[in-house]
Amino acid sequence: MRSRLLPTVGAAALTAALALSGCAANESGPDPSSTPSDTSGDSTAESPQTDPTDDGGAAVSLSGTLNGGGASSQGPAQEAWRAGFSGLNPGVTVNYDPTGSGDGRKAFSEGGLAFAGSDSAFGPDEIAAGGFGSCADGSGLIEVPVYISPIAVGFNLPGVDSLNLDAATVASIFTGQITAWNDPAIVEQNDGTDLPDLAITAVHRADSSGTTANFTDYLDQASGGVWTEGSVEDWPDSLQGEAAESTSGVAETIVGTEGAIGYLDASRAAGAMGTAAIKVGENYVSYSPAAAAAAVGGSTFQSDRSAGDVVVDIDRTIDSGEVYPLILISYLIGCETYADPSQGALVKGYLEYVASPEGQAEAAANAGSAPITGDPNVEPKVAAAIASIQ
Amino acid sequence: MAVIALDRAPAIALPRGIRRSRRTVNATATVAITGLFVLALVPLGSLLWTAASRGLARFDVEFFTNSMLGVVGGGGGALHAIVGTGLITGATILLSVPVGVTAAVYLVEYGRGWFKRTVTFLVDVMTGIPSIVAGLFAYAVFSLILGPGMRSGVAGALALSLLMIPVVVRSSEEMLRLVPDELREASYALGVPKYRTILKVVLPTSISGIVAGVMIGIARIVGETAPLLLVAGYTDVMNYNLFSERITTLPVFIYSQWKNKGMDVAAYDDRAWTAALVLIAFVLLLNLVSRLVARLFAPKAR
Repeated sequence: MRSRLLPTVGAAALTAALALSGCAANESGPDPSSTPSDTSGDSTAESPQTDPTDDGGAAVSLSGTLNGGGASSQGPAQEAWRAGFSGLNPGVTVNYDPTGSGDGRKAFSEGGLAFAGSDSAFGPDEIAAGGFGSCADGSGLIEVPVYISPIAVGFNLPGVDSLNLDAATVASIFTGQITAWNDPAIVEQNDGTDLPDLAITAVHRADSSGTTANFTDYLDQASGGVWTEGSVEDWPDSLQGEAAESTSGVAETIVGTEGAIGYLDASRAAGAMGTAAIKVGENYVSYSPAAAAAAVGGSTFQSDRSAGDVVVDIDRTIDSGEVYPLILISYLIGCETYADPSQGALVKGYLEYVASPEGQAEAAANAGSAPITGDPNVEPKVAAAIASIQ
Repeated sequence: MAVIALDRAPAIALPRGIRRSRRTVNATATVAITGLFVLALVPLGSLLWTAASRGLARFDVEFFTNSMLGVVGGGGGALHAIVGTGLITGATILLSVPVGVTAAVYLVEYGRGWFKRTVTFLVDVMTGIPSIVAGLFAYAVFSLILGPGMRSGVAGALALSLLMIPVVVRSSEEMLRLVPDELREASYALGVPKYRTILKVVLPTSISGIVAGVMIGIARIVGETAPLLLVAGYTDVMNYNLFSERITTLPVFIYSQWKNKGMDVAAYDDRAWTAALVLIAFVLLLNLVSRLVARLFAPKAR
């Protein structure tokens, strides 16, 4: 019976190896890189746990696995939120697949994910059509803006850390009408900066992206007609330039190419490259979380939506004060009523943490986002929407 | 023979020019072949060097004792991915080896006619299946049964076994064919039934080759990313249960560390490189184990 021995021995060897490595696991012991309350990674732990946060009101005990996914822009923030939330609720495992907004919305619709992260909200007609897999029959959706991030216009010019550019100039650069750094349009906005006679390499996203959508939306609204392609998730094929995959690809291309300029999430531009201050009204404003938050504060909500469906119409043409209108707003999307009440409780608990001052501060520290808390226009609506989850 | 005779017989020596040209050709061929061999080693050496030099930054105790639970930015480890790779690879072996070896036994010992040709053809087709297709197959099967969005280790093992079975079948088939017919005939002559001949004579004789084939199969699947990303998913925490929820494997860990970086880019890159180094070491270790196993199983000559 030697032939039977082969798989048995293979399995035995592997089991032994696993048992050895498994023993070394110190997830249940003190984890030096985690918060003290952070204990086991075992998702099936059922030990009753008192939630020490006070923003939820009553003491809540949560356990189980919560799967979400979508916008990759939220990836770093989600990492911080997962870590913070599992520190407060050791019985809960939260997973987030940063596969892209479109994928996330689709998987959520099919019921594969309990919540979705997305750079663009579901349309009112999509919500009215219903049929969301995780939701109870006839349930609406809640959509809350929880991640506000400035998009930086980053460039690589030796010796130059900051440039002033207005929207029309940015649009001209990305449409190929301005091809050199010492073009008069750039020079006249940057007195005293020594601009070289260097060709401009405009870097854009190769993949479908919420960053591209927000960037082109900004150019569409603010460039005064220089940008003619509208607001699009996919970079127009008719335009020249260098394509790069994902935010990381854009960052690497800019850093590696002298004379390059591109748009990317500000968290990845900070310190790595020069960034442009964009013209707002008569002033040039550099990106900052505060200026990004101000842009949301000055915007209005879409009116054709339910109370829990908090969708912002970003006004890119605000012309006063320290406002940086080139921002990306990313939403978390969940059901008003979940088919599985335990999932509803998990989503509610997680979103409460995300929208809390602690959660927003964690995201600001790890992802450079602008907190929504403290904005009297946004915060109460978001809190009310999350409180309505069942 | 003529060449040897000529070399040994200087009496009928060739004109000097011909001998010199032969020597030149020989030297040229030696240099060319050695050079091409070294050229083939360059990418391998470069890869090993890069993985080792960049992976050592995080090749520490924490990496092997921690998962990614609660980790933001630096720190953390890949124990969950290492355990996940072991579990899924083990489950894949359990699924693939019995099917693959029995299929090979059928093809060599029993099969004939159109059915055998069909099986051989289908195995050949399976060898060429892109891994993502295997992943989609497993995803479709489990989605139909358990609903959309489900992820589990066993689904990953199913996808990988689709990739591993043809490798095991083909290599086992070759090894079984190498067993001399005289051994089988001797066994039959002693009145041993066919199934006992296969179990006691044919398989033990070829076992070291079959084990080597299985190891090639494992090396083929242990680095697979796409199907596992699809059906086994990514999670931050340990999961020992193949049948419930997501399990992280090393390739998926590498991919997600590289793809989803936070602000502290270096921390994510370091983790990805160290995981790559661990994966290479894992395959190396498997090869060493396979040699040991093959030696233990090899029939003893008396």
